[in-house]
Amino acid sequence: MTMLAPITLASSMADRVGLLWPELLLLIAAMVVALMGLSKDRTIRGAVGPVSILAVLASGVLALVTGGAEAAAAAGVPFPALAQWLKPMVALIAAGLMAVQGGFVDQALEAAIGRNAAAFNPLRAIRGEFHAFALFSIAGVMLLTTATDLIWLFLALELVSLPTYVMVAIGRSDRPGLEAAVKYFFLGAMATAVMLMGFALLYGATGSLQFDLIRNAFGAQAASGGIALLGVGGLMLTAIGLFFKITAVPMHFYAPDVYEGAPLPVTAVLSFIPKVAGFVGLILVLGTAGLTSGELPKPIIALLWMAAILTMSLGNMGALLQHSMKRTMAYSSIAHSGYMLVALAAGTTDALDALLFYLFAYGVTTVATFGGLAVIQRAGGDADRFEDLAGLRRTNPWATSMIVLGALSFTGIPPLLGFFGKFWILTSAFEAGQVALCIFLVVNSLVSARYYLRFMATPVIAEPDSNATPTERNPSRAPVLASVVFGLALLILPCFTGSIFGWVQQATDAPAKAQ
Amino acid sequence: MVSHVLPLASIQPVVLLAADSLQSYAPVALVVVMVIGFCAINIIASMLIGPSTEGTVKAIAYESGMNPWDSARKRFNVRFYIMAMTFLVFDVEIIFLYPWAVAFADLEPGSAEAKLYLARMAFFVGTSVVAYIYAWKKGVFRWD
Repeated sequence: MTMLAPITLASSMADRVGLLWPELLLLIAAMVVALMGLSKDRTIRGAVGPVSILAVLASGVLALVTGGAEAAAAAGVPFPALAQWLKPMVALIAAGLMAVQGGFVDQALEAAIGRNAAAFNPLRAIRGEFHAFALFSIAGVMLLTTATDLIWLFLALELVSLPTYVMVAIGRSDRPGLEAAVKYFFLGAMATAVMLMGFALLYGATGSLQFDLIRNAFGAQAASGGIALLGVGGLMLTAIGLFFKITAVPMHFYAPDVYEGAPLPVTAVLSFIPKVAGFVGLILVLGTAGLTSGELPKPIIALLWMAAILTMSLGNMGALLQHSMKRTMAYSSIAHSGYMLVALAAGTTDALDALLFYLFAYGVTTVATFGGLAVIQRAGGDADRFEDLAGLRRTNPWATSMIVLGALSFTGIPPLLGFFGKFWILTSAFEAGQVALCIFLVVNSLVSARYYLRFMATPVIAEPDSNATPTERNPSRAPVLASVVFGLALLILPCFTGSIFGWVQQATDAPAKAQ
Repeated sequence: MVSHVLPLASIQPVVLLAADSLQSYAPVALVVVMVIGFCAINIIASMLIGPSTEGTVKAIAYESGMNPWDSARKRFNVRFYIMAMTFLVFDVEIIFLYPWAVAFADLEPGSAEAKLYLARMAFFVGTSVVAYIYAWKKGVFRWD
């Protein structure tokens, strides 16, 4: 009877179920949706998308209602209030991303069944799986926010990544799609290996996998002459492994190919969900080595500094050269990671708040823009060239307006939400004394206006080429609806920045109190 | 989660116990008897009630439902992979069940801890049941 004495209930995941209701809801929803997608009834299959969106929204509400910061602090979560901001925020954006996917999966198959030209074949239908994987990925991000040790962190990160590999692979069955999937999978596995090596070194340097114990060990080492080289190496490798998730230099190479090869709705998911996961992971891991108290080891600061500058600059320069919209978006997403890395390099609590807010602004803008871009399509693939947007103002003025709004917000034009994100990062980095990074950020923002202008100008000014095959209209109205809702949010939410800022600031407030 | 690995010391009494008395080998003997019995019953039963057809098809080497000629490096029917993967899922599940079963036997019957452990495993098995229903509806087990 006493053989199991070392296993105490206080440490078990079951004890923290109170913090995990949103994830459990998503998990159950994923199972339900996977089965619904195989139903012979067409209306049930059609309900897969709405049910997924409802489940994501419900999990966001559940996150607001349950799982207080006190319970999280008692469980040893390093940033106990982080979940209260991130879970509802991710749920909101993810609901938008799911709406952008609306009607995309199995479109041809369902249309054929509707014309009675084909019978339903469960082996070829992927709608249920697709939405289930998206829900798993979202659950992974949420799980990440309450991580207390490296194993949990790792499992949550994999729960984020693995479904996205599958989504890239099953979304398109042509050659570029499969190439993207294979590239994404193998490079992702490599990045994970780098990160695990970092975990191993961290364990070697501190003798623990738990964040609080690692922090104590690093604190003791810092007090007696600096963090051990092994620990610094561990932090560095972990950070570089996580750079893959946020598409930061030097782990950004895959992004353009994968974003281009993936179907447009999946590209939208890729540019938001893994990014949040990567930044949360970075905050948690670097938080053990004094991220918020400004005591990060010098090599780590140098790494973040260089990564920020290179990521911003390479992202924006790469975007200038593209003809594919999805490739441009990939480089744009690299550049935005660079902006957020500026906040991470600044390292103050204020800068972290700015980063967490920027993720939100970036997410809202992503849904608005991608939702607008998803209204046009071509048979057998996305309408992916800038020229495809020409004349959109006549065929779909709503989508055009939202693409313009999104591009303006990405550029950081006031009074849109993106401006406040960038502004907060700038001011917090400036206050932290990172003047050089601020200059790079401003210059890069100016450069980025060049390619965002193409997103604005092409649908509004350009006339479609009469020789080119015209694009088709997406039969589903969900993407444009999501685009309008989130595009208007870009305009309206800035009126409430005061309360949103206050909410975000609470997310990083608590650890100081808990210590 | 991680720092609570069973200490080595807790395994030692089991080893000592095994060395002390032959009686602790009774389960092993039981398994041996069951294995021999299972084999014997199967062979005898198939001799008695199995259809005893003869012919060329039956005489050729059995190769998992494929014709055993030509090169071995040819394309396999994808069904084999789906079946193999489905098998793996449940195989791995057994691996998780086994250590749980070993630990569960040492818990106080009816205690809160035991109920918690049971609930956890029920949840885990429940997810696999959903996976099974999913695979069934997906048509993984349909061969034609």
